[in-house]
Amino acid sequence: MDTLSLDDVTKEFGSVRAVDGLSARIPAGSIYGFLGPNGAGKTTTLRMVMNIISPDSGRIEVLGHCSKEGVSERIGYMPEERGLYRKMKVRAVLSYFGTLKGMKRRDLVPEIARWLDDVGLAASADQRVEDLSRGMQQKLQFVVTAISDPDLLILDEPFSGLDPVNLELMRDIMLRMREAGKTVIFSTHMMEQAEKLCDFILLIDKGKKIIDGTLDEIRSTYPRSSIMAELEGETDFVTALPMVRGMEHDGRKLEITLTEDGDPQDLLRGLVEKVRVRSFEEKVPSLHEIFVDLVRGHDA
Amino acid sequence: MRKIFIVARREFIEMVKTKAFLFGVFLVPVIIGVFIFFSQRLQRQMVSGPQPTKTVAVADLSGELAAELEPLFQQHNESHADRQIFLELVQPGENGLEAQTNQMKERVRSRQLAGYLVIPKDVLEGNALHDGGRSQYYARGDSLADGKVFQTVRNLLNNAVVNRRCIHRGLSPQVIKDIRKYVPVDQMEVTAQQTKKQDAFPARMMVPFFFLFMMFAGMIGANQHLLTSVIEEKNSRVMEVILSSVSPMQFMAGKILGLVAVSLSTVFIWGLAAYAAAAYYGMADLVNCTNVGYFLVYFILGFLLFSSIFAAIGAACNTLKEAQSFMTPVMLIIVMPMVGWMYFSQNPNGFWSVVCSFIPPLTPMVMILRLAARPDIAPLQIFASIALLAASVPVVMWASAKIFRTGILMYGKPASLRELCRWVRNK
Repeated sequence: MDTLSLDDVTKEFGSVRAVDGLSARIPAGSIYGFLGPNGAGKTTTLRMVMNIISPDSGRIEVLGHCSKEGVSERIGYMPEERGLYRKMKVRAVLSYFGTLKGMKRRDLVPEIARWLDDVGLAASADQRVEDLSRGMQQKLQFVVTAISDPDLLILDEPFSGLDPVNLELMRDIMLRMREAGKTVIFSTHMMEQAEKLCDFILLIDKGKKIIDGTLDEIRSTYPRSSIMAELEGETDFVTALPMVRGMEHDGRKLEITLTEDGDPQDLLRGLVEKVRVRSFEEKVPSLHEIFVDLVRGHDA
Repeated sequence: MRKIFIVARREFIEMVKTKAFLFGVFLVPVIIGVFIFFSQRLQRQMVSGPQPTKTVAVADLSGELAAELEPLFQQHNESHADRQIFLELVQPGENGLEAQTNQMKERVRSRQLAGYLVIPKDVLEGNALHDGGRSQYYARGDSLADGKVFQTVRNLLNNAVVNRRCIHRGLSPQVIKDIRKYVPVDQMEVTAQQTKKQDAFPARMMVPFFFLFMMFAGMIGANQHLLTSVIEEKNSRVMEVILSSVSPMQFMAGKILGLVAVSLSTVFIWGLAAYAAAAYYGMADLVNCTNVGYFLVYFILGFLLFSSIFAAIGAACNTLKEAQSFMTPVMLIIVMPMVGWMYFSQNPNGFWSVVCSFIPPLTPMVMILRLAARPDIAPLQIFASIALLAASVPVVMWASAKIFRTGILMYGKPASLRELCRWVRNK
């Protein structure tokens, strides 16, 4: 079952089309990465999912419901712009947002203790938010989002401004949530994190979907995969091979691009016949490369 | 509905914890009490307290009144031992009256004399058809107590003249005095409940004013907080976190509900203090269930009206400074009944009192002034004003909620009035 489905969703602000006919399905129990450059429409889309703003046209279905009524309690949302009541105490903040998500005050007490312990804030439970360090506030913000054990977690740029320790913590919790059968959607432009974490990826630019699917799917459809090879002896013959489209010297290695239907296995066979092959590696394009390439291509 | 209460609860707790609230609730009545206490004492001391003996110089050009005035002043000084007036009779010397007057004026100026009275030659000639000569009294205009001296001197002069005229006509001044004995008349006020002796002026005026003041202060205090808290929630970006759990309408309703509770508790405490003060001065009967009931109805409706406006202003602005420009017209409306309270409470059925009762933002304060001043305002007017106010509250709340919903996620430059209108029209 899909946790979230977007159907031809469009949103305009004045003359700017922030989201343009976006469709996507987000399966339950997955970690879904929402990628795109700044101003691509990620935050707008997430806000529409949260029903904070409403789309001009199209259909959004969250946890099987079309409106937020009744499901908002099952969604945890961490906006890109972080903020909490600065004068309130940590425990009171969590209690307030927990009850707003429909939890009972009595059930919240052990939950708050468990979470604060989990992220190392137990000693700060009775401090005011403004007295916490920046990193602690970030952790608290995340706990606010997750305190009610939501089925769907929507995180807008969760990694921005995190130090490596907190980043690791955040990743662990996200993975744990997936194991517990929850769905996590997050937007980011940090490709490395997306590559490590995501089961599915959606890449948007200028409000339009460029590509979506699993990481492997995206890689396999990406046409310009290449081979890195290190050969002994003369290498000029390589360009003459039928499956080779181009070749570049990259230090001692060669970067060989194949034709559309060129099979790396055929290339290896061709090389072995002529020279000694010291190394041969199929170079998988990194998400970063795909991202930059696609966005550039999209701009062109 | 549950979420509205959660928001309201937090709003209430957080506001009650602030120093501004504690200050307002407990210190304001204390300050007002101290102020009233001291101003009363001060006033009593100036007007009715013991006064140092004053000297008044009198130049009697008629030559007949000096003998008459002396015993009268003596009588006065005997019966008013704490405000004696010493009579100093002077005669124009060889330099003439003008020189003497200048000299006396100089003494008045240097505070040697409280006043200088010149009685003309023809002072006794007045009768029913025409006045006699006019007397002149020279004094400084800087003290309330000196005004009392003038009144005393004028009365004594008139008594002296009347006595003298009687003697001229062969009548006994004592007989005339007996005949002209003043008849005391008590003023009785007729009200629906009972007939009672009318109270002194200030007490009657203070009751409507106090109701007005409670309404004013109750609205301003909490709504100021509402405005700053919305702006703060925008600036600290906590707004979006909240909106992921509650709708903007629920959020606004919760905030307003919490603040209604805050301001009702404030007004309750002030009211208790005021009632205690009224009871102490023996005026407790001026505060009754009817006007307290009306107060609550008008206060709550008026509060809802203004707090939704303040919430919308807060949502449309990013800083308090920006909010000021929107606040000014709203504040003018709130302050208007304060400025005109004398008129409204003295003319509860005057034309403008009735007109202003049907302008919804003015209704609560104007009506409470009128009702506290006169409990017998036409029931139809009371009913109609409540109905109109109650009908306008949802309209204003609806428009404000629209502005609120759009405004709370808008950052950057403050919205113009035209944009606000567009937000209201947006579906």
